[in-house]
Amino acid sequence: MANTACFIIVSRNDIPIYEAEVGSAIKKEEAAQQHQFILHAALDIVEDLAWTTSAMFLKAVDKFNDLVVSVYVTAGHTRFMLLHDSRNEDGIKSFFQEVQELYIKILLNPLYLPGSRITSSHFDTKVRALARKYL
Amino acid sequence: MEPDVSIETGSMIRIAVLPVGGSIPHPRFRSYVEMLGRHTRIDLSSISSFYSEHQKSPFTHQPWETGSLRFKFMLGGAPPSAWEDFQSCRKILAVIGLCHCPASPDLDLVADQFATACKAYTSALAKRCFAFFPTDSQLEEGDNKRENILLFPPSDQKTQEFHMLTMMQDLAASLLMEFEKWVLRAESAGTILKTPLDSQSSLGSEEFIKAKKRRLARAQKTIGDYCMLAGSPIDANAHYSTAIELARLTGDIFWHAGAMEGSVCALLVDRMDHKDPLLEEEVKYRYYNVIQLYRRSYLQDNAQRVSTVSFELEATLKLARYLCRRELAKEVVDLLMSAADGAKSLIDASDRLILYVEIARLFGTLGYQRKAAFFSRQVAQLYLQQDNACAAMSAMQVLTMTSNAYHVQSRRNCQKMCPSPQDLGASHADGGKMHPLSIVSLFESQWSTIQMVVLREILMSSVRAGDPLAAWSAAARLLRSFYPLITPAGQSGLASSLANSAERLPSGTRCADPALPFIRLHSFPLHPSQTDIIKRNPQKKEWWTGSAPSGPFIYTPFSKGAISDCNKQELTWIVGEPVQVLVELANPCSFDLMVESIYLSVHSGNFDAFPVSVSLPPNTSKVILLSGIPTKVGAVSIPGCIVHCFGVITEHLFRDVDNLLLGASQGLVLSDPFRCCGSTKPKNMSTPNISVVPPLPLLVSHVVGGNGSTILYEGEIRDIWTSLTNAGTVPIEQAHIALSGKNQDSVISIAHDVLLSSLPLKPGGEVTIPVTVKAWQLSLTDSEFDASKSSSGSARRISKEGSSPLLVIYYAGPWTSPDESNGSGNSVPPGRRLVVPLNVCVLQGLRFVRARLLSMEFPARVSEALPKQIYGENGITEELKSVNQNDSLVKIDPYRGSWGLRLLELELSNPTDVVFEVNVSMQLDSQQTEHGMANFSNEDIDFGYRKTRIDRDYSARVLIPMEHFKLPVLDASFFSKDAQVNNIVGNKVFSTAERNAKAELNASINNLISKIKVKWHSGRNSSGELNIKDATQAALQASIMDILLPDPLTFGFRLGENGTASENIVSPEVSSISDNPTGQPGSRNVALDKGSVLAHEMTHMEVIIRNNTKERIKMSLNVSCRDVAGENCIEGNKATVLWAGTLSDISLEAPPLQDVTHSFALYFLVPGDYTLLAAAVINDATEVLRARAKSDSSDEPIFCRGSPFHVHVVGTA
Repeated sequence: MANTACFIIVSRNDIPIYEAEVGSAIKKEEAAQQHQFILHAALDIVEDLAWTTSAMFLKAVDKFNDLVVSVYVTAGHTRFMLLHDSRNEDGIKSFFQEVQELYIKILLNPLYLPGSRITSSHFDTKVRALARKYL
Repeated sequence: MEPDVSIETGSMIRIAVLPVGGSIPHPRFRSYVEMLGRHTRIDLSSISSFYSEHQKSPFTHQPWETGSLRFKFMLGGAPPSAWEDFQSCRKILAVIGLCHCPASPDLDLVADQFATACKAYTSALAKRCFAFFPTDSQLEEGDNKRENILLFPPSDQKTQEFHMLTMMQDLAASLLMEFEKWVLRAESAGTILKTPLDSQSSLGSEEFIKAKKRRLARAQKTIGDYCMLAGSPIDANAHYSTAIELARLTGDIFWHAGAMEGSVCALLVDRMDHKDPLLEEEVKYRYYNVIQLYRRSYLQDNAQRVSTVSFELEATLKLARYLCRRELAKEVVDLLMSAADGAKSLIDASDRLILYVEIARLFGTLGYQRKAAFFSRQVAQLYLQQDNACAAMSAMQVLTMTSNAYHVQSRRNCQKMCPSPQDLGASHADGGKMHPLSIVSLFESQWSTIQMVVLREILMSSVRAGDPLAAWSAAARLLRSFYPLITPAGQSGLASSLANSAERLPSGTRCADPALPFIRLHSFPLHPSQTDIIKRNPQKKEWWTGSAPSGPFIYTPFSKGAISDCNKQELTWIVGEPVQVLVELANPCSFDLMVESIYLSVHSGNFDAFPVSVSLPPNTSKVILLSGIPTKVGAVSIPGCIVHCFGVITEHLFRDVDNLLLGASQGLVLSDPFRCCGSTKPKNMSTPNISVVPPLPLLVSHVVGGNGSTILYEGEIRDIWTSLTNAGTVPIEQAHIALSGKNQDSVISIAHDVLLSSLPLKPGGEVTIPVTVKAWQLSLTDSEFDASKSSSGSARRISKEGSSPLLVIYYAGPWTSPDESNGSGNSVPPGRRLVVPLNVCVLQGLRFVRARLLSMEFPARVSEALPKQIYGENGITEELKSVNQNDSLVKIDPYRGSWGLRLLELELSNPTDVVFEVNVSMQLDSQQTEHGMANFSNEDIDFGYRKTRIDRDYSARVLIPMEHFKLPVLDASFFSKDAQVNNIVGNKVFSTAERNAKAELNASINNLISKIKVKWHSGRNSSGELNIKDATQAALQASIMDILLPDPLTFGFRLGENGTASENIVSPEVSSISDNPTGQPGSRNVALDKGSVLAHEMTHMEVIIRNNTKERIKMSLNVSCRDVAGENCIEGNKATVLWAGTLSDISLEAPPLQDVTHSFALYFLVPGDYTLLAAAVINDATEVLRARAKSDSSDEPIFCRGSPFHVHVVGTA
């Protein structure tokens, strides 16, 4: 499992709809904020990059210091962004793919308004389990 | 590292700009610098006049036609760089002093100062001091003496600018000539050029030889630099090429890179105008080489002392800036990211700062706002690490720039940038419902964590920088947007930082960012009914009709058709009349919020708002009333409120909160501030269109004698005086009073004429209108029990609130408005409606319990005089007269001899706590006047009854004799209409059951009933009338005929005189005298009682029979006498009375309306009381008589009986 990892889902309106610190490092508030800042900044690059490729997994798109941002863009332009310090690209890809399946299940919920915050605790548990498994 | 580097930097001549002399006013200095700043580029062609070629110019390929010199002004100068030799463009090559002459009178001093300042810049080749606005004396003395000081004669802006241009061209020319000199000298002499990279301490022999070898390359590179500065790229390129070759040979990597950089610069300056892909490729290729070379020149052993990383990074940034275009974004991003990576190896913090600044700028240029913001925040953090106010201020400014990208910007900055919320808000208001996705987009970038961090950092830096307004604004944004995420302690901390910032702000400071509370529009109260506005319909005389919903119903089907677009509410306000708006405030935080003042914000300038102050406890919401006065005609829109809270004035827009609430309802915003304060769901409030109209008249009403309700007992009649005052500024020209509401019929009269006669009612004018009200009967539905009154045992009933009738007064000013501003349209100023509730509180008054008809007998006594029984034409008159003289309770003539005297008994109870006095009166509308008989008018006739007093909680009975209502036989006025009854006696016409006559009967019954009035008085001024009509009618229903109709025959007895019958009917006068024993003339024994008869004496008597019909009646009369026991004492064995004459079967014939007399004599053997009775059988009775007698068969005899008469016989037995 990665030492530092922050996973975030950004809706097509650039609103974060799910956030999770999934790293094994001791969680510090300041670090978490910094992670969000980095992820937020990476959106600009994702925006451009997403249209240049047909692949959903954009691999590492941005980095700051040691932290790398890997991004997966769904067909609905929802972005899964992972900030990590590990280099396990395959694991990250699998992680993203599995999370997308979970996300689709959330989308299929008729009571969920697309673009609003994901509050399902079930989703959260599953994502954390996936993070343990793949990262 | 240096900020703002680009590839072209190598061709710029650095000029230090220094203020000299006395302190220059800030705006003045700025304008000087601005003037200077326009001349960053001086064309070579323009300086040729100042240029003189002293020797052959080394710049052989100088492009005199197209080339130019570029200046870079270093404001305030710059410290000398260690790398000056390496890149000549880093040298300060000229110094310009700026002097404001009025501030520094002594030019010598200025010259000295300037000279001292210039000493710091050894590399400066030209020095000028510009002195602006010299005085005349200064002009005179300074003209020739000092060359360094150039006086700008005072003149207009344009001339000065021209002067400046000339000066700059001169400076450029002299610089060019200096460059030539320098290059010539360098070529010939050759200088040793060093960089900090070269070890300075011990120049070993090996190194010395090495340096000597490299010297030529370095000299060539430097000459190339000067060529670039002199604006001759071709010359420069030639020198650079040589330098590159030599450097490569000598392995001088660093200078190799420098020369290559210079050659790219020369290439670009040469090919300035056309940028083609080929050139771009070339530049890219060469620069990547440069970067590589710089990287290679990085020496590990030198790294602690001096590093070439900054040159590598600068080169990277230069290339990135050159490529910085949207199409090449990926390449630029890569460059910038590698530059950012290099930050770690930078030693100097300020270098890192510059690097991040440049990266942020380039990302910003590329359109990567979020990336730019990220690096800006890094910059701010670096600034914040320095502990001084200037750095904090810089940090604050940088963070403020990032706030846009993080969507936490101050509203001041975003107003012109994002007009979209306004449109969105408007569309929301119109459409009502938006697509969910577009709602989501309203709350774009809800990165609350980082938004809070940024705001907190702005707050911190602005506190440190000593900018209270920025601190206030940041704290306000933080508190308003993120209060749900902040702990109560944090909220209080923010509140105190708001307060602290406000303390350092001048009072009355405005801030664009609202803090608390949250404010939303609650409602616009409609006009109170006192000031309702009504459209005037000029076509109708009754102009108020059809324009406003009348009546109690909100919805009327008639108005529905007319107003189709009623979803947009229209509101009319009137100039000069206060209006009110309800707004709801919410304080979702955990501290007490004190709003020092809040008032409506109106930008149209025609509204004066009144501030109020509110205190909001933690987690509460409040609805408050804000008022104001429209001052000018026009439209008014209320976008929000101005709030003075935490020491700063802010504008709170309703729209923002509406959007927030919309987001909250979709679960997109953290929290709904109103709901968490326990406020209910908002009504769907649409902002109405408000228009202000010119002044209208304004009626204000008050009830004379206090505005409390008038307390009336049921049936009480009272005038209520309502005073109407025109409180407006326009006279009232039209007015109309109507009634509305419940119990309208209780208003007896309204003095319309008083109101109309007072028109036009001038402003300030007053008119008092009496309204007569008769308190209505309380019914179960509209009354309630007065709970407070329990002392009297049972709760009494009072009228409910709102059951009073309403006076509706429509009024309007002149048809045209006083100021003829509306000459455009034919719009008629509207009228108004004033609703005045007649505040009447009806108390339960005297209760009517029941009415009964009682029969009584008062036998008459026989006397000389005939008891008055005649219903002659003046009978009533006479009877009334006699009655008036009496003062008895029961108004009957005691000698009438009433058999079956009928009395109406009214039982009244008094449940109230006051005393009532009851007075029964008859209203006699004497129709006799038509016959010229009696002269009684309609006035009430008081029968002189004693007033019946009814104490509280007691009942009383009042008797009303019904005898007065008997109709005279000849009631021609009553029956004259009916031709059929003309020849029929009396009112027997009723029995014919003709409808016509029936109606007449009913009329007469009603007439009778309405004549009985029971009036009451209570206290000093309460009086009224009891409504007993129904009860009376019910009581009289059964025997109404008997009351109204006289018997066909009436009988009377009297004592005869000397046995001879008197021929005449006793005149009323006699009759009245006979009432009075003392006035009786007489042969009679005075000692005897009136009407007494002596025993053992022959007593002459007469029976008088009156025919009340209009027909001759034949009858057979019987007279009988009975004793006390009721035995017939004339006939039989034990007759105690002897008689003379006939007493039975006397055939008589009475002419119509005449009397017949029959005489007889009685001899009483035993003294005592006797009763005389007369009865007659009518022969050949007519139908009428039969009907009156209620006989069924035609052969039944009609029997008529008179009233009994008493005879008191005195004497000894």
